[in-house]
Amino acid sequence: MSILVAVTDRAEGAAALTAAIAEAKLFDTDLVIVPLGISATFDTSALDESGIDYTVVARKGRGDRDPAEAVLDELDDRSDIDRLVIGMRRRSRVGKMLIGSVSQRLLLDSPVPVLAVKG
Amino acid sequence: MSSQPKSLVDLPPDTKGPHTSRLGIIAVVATFGGLLFGYDTGVVNGALEPLTHDFGLTPRTEGLVVSFLTIGAAFGAVIGGRLSDAFGRRSNILLLACFFIVGTLACALSPNWQFLTGARFVLGLAVGAASTTVPVYLAELAPFEKRGSLVTRNEVMIVVGQFAAFVINAVIFNIWGEHEGVWRYMLSVAVLPAIALLIGMLFLPESPRWLISKQREEQALGVLKQVRSDERAEAEMREVEILAEQEEVAKTGGVTDLASKWVLRLVLIGVGLGVAQQLTGINSVMYYGTQLLTDAGFSAESAIIANTFNGLFSVLGVTVGIMLINKLPRRFMLLGGFTLTSSFHLLIGLSAVFLPEGTFKAYAILVFIVLFVFSMQGTLGPLVWLMLAEIFPLKIRSFAMGICVFALWLANAAVAQFFPSVVSGLGISNTFFLFAGLGVLALIFIYCFVPETKDKTLEDLEAEFRTKYGE
Repeated sequence: MSILVAVTDRAEGAAALTAAIAEAKLFDTDLVIVPLGISATFDTSALDESGIDYTVVARKGRGDRDPAEAVLDELDDRSDIDRLVIGMRRRSRVGKMLIGSVSQRLLLDSPVPVLAVKG
Repeated sequence: MSSQPKSLVDLPPDTKGPHTSRLGIIAVVATFGGLLFGYDTGVVNGALEPLTHDFGLTPRTEGLVVSFLTIGAAFGAVIGGRLSDAFGRRSNILLLACFFIVGTLACALSPNWQFLTGARFVLGLAVGAASTTVPVYLAELAPFEKRGSLVTRNEVMIVVGQFAAFVINAVIFNIWGEHEGVWRYMLSVAVLPAIALLIGMLFLPESPRWLISKQREEQALGVLKQVRSDERAEAEMREVEILAEQEEVAKTGGVTDLASKWVLRLVLIGVGLGVAQQLTGINSVMYYGTQLLTDAGFSAESAIIANTFNGLFSVLGVTVGIMLINKLPRRFMLLGGFTLTSSFHLLIGLSAVFLPEGTFKAYAILVFIVLFVFSMQGTLGPLVWLMLAEIFPLKIRSFAMGICVFALWLANAAVAQFFPSVVSGLGISNTFFLFAGLGVLALIFIYCFVPETKDKTLEDLEAEFRTKYGE
């Protein structure tokens, strides 16, 4: 049993990571992290402090361009994941129309239960 | 367009051997790729006057004929990039060399202006694809010691190509000017470098970096052994793998990343830089220079000869620009460049208004136009391209640069399309006062929004932007 968390660069991403670490400790499982931001490196200090086992899966290349697809692909590849943790934030109507909502798609298309955390 | 004087991995020096001549052919391709780009964009300059008489063009249709090459280039740059990623750099360059040949002949044999416009669009596709694929291929195949100089040579050859087009057009016009179809001879000369590129590419291998990105490691090593000594080839494989990885990462970012405010701002700044560069009107001089000089007061024969000075000072400007680019801070060069170009715009406008008709006026305008071209190519020309490559974090670089380059070509096309109509409607002086005004707007934009990128790491820039514009 594992937990996968999708972490954006923003406040709700950090909140999702905190919640995911708590979940992993509660269920005594390891954590798979998919960073969705564009930073070159991912700050693993909170993860190291918590003492849980974790794997960071980086997005790479045109195939991973769509964040929702990247996370769903990762869920398909790893059959041992049974919970997804994501961050949510309010998006303007125009923003939703132009760019779409990654969180909404993950909520609806995820094959496993989703824990949605507000930033 | 940045150089890599150091390799990422410790590499033994590249010793001489049978592979050295192959490497020499790469330099030839570098030369002709850039030359074709420059020649095809510059050739319309001298051909436009006889063409206008032959087909009875109005300022509006002139604008269409000229700008459709640039519109084609906007699409060619995007499509060419995708094709070369999917099918390889070599096949892409061979394909675009064929497009160059077919497009050039179609242009030269056009029966009417509509056909010519379509043929120029096809030619434009090749120009756009060449502008992205050739520098990429050169950087990927050349050893790191030569990478910077080969890419630079490509840049210089672009303006040399335009200069060559101006000179050859001047010669052709002054010898065969009385023929109505003289412009056809001018346009068809461009088929020669296209054939040279096609033949040259047949001898060259595929890019090893691309082969590795497609998991064809054995072939990649085979290619490296063709163009390096054996010992060096084995060692370099590691560097090629690292670089191929980096390129993959560069393609990760996409539309969803624009949801972050600072990323969106960064992309808008990049677009603004590209558009500002084009709105200096540099390409209005490169495409319409001969007509501009005729309006200024030169006769048809002397205008086309005077126009060659635009090409010459473009080449001189670029060589100076390349030397200055790593010695001056970027913002300083940008602000300085726009100040110079706007000042010369103002002087051109003032000369057109206040000087009495005659040889002095014509020469004064020529001098100011030439100085404008020189200061433009010595600063903004190469600098904008360099900054576009520098400001974006690696993950969104491919996506962001794609947007900026597309916007840049479209701005180029807009200037090309509307310039003749604006000049015939407002006159030379008002047109250049307009350019000067746009230059002032550009100065304000750069002062307020464009960051300094010299000697700053990407992490520094990212941090700066996140705090300034928010998430």
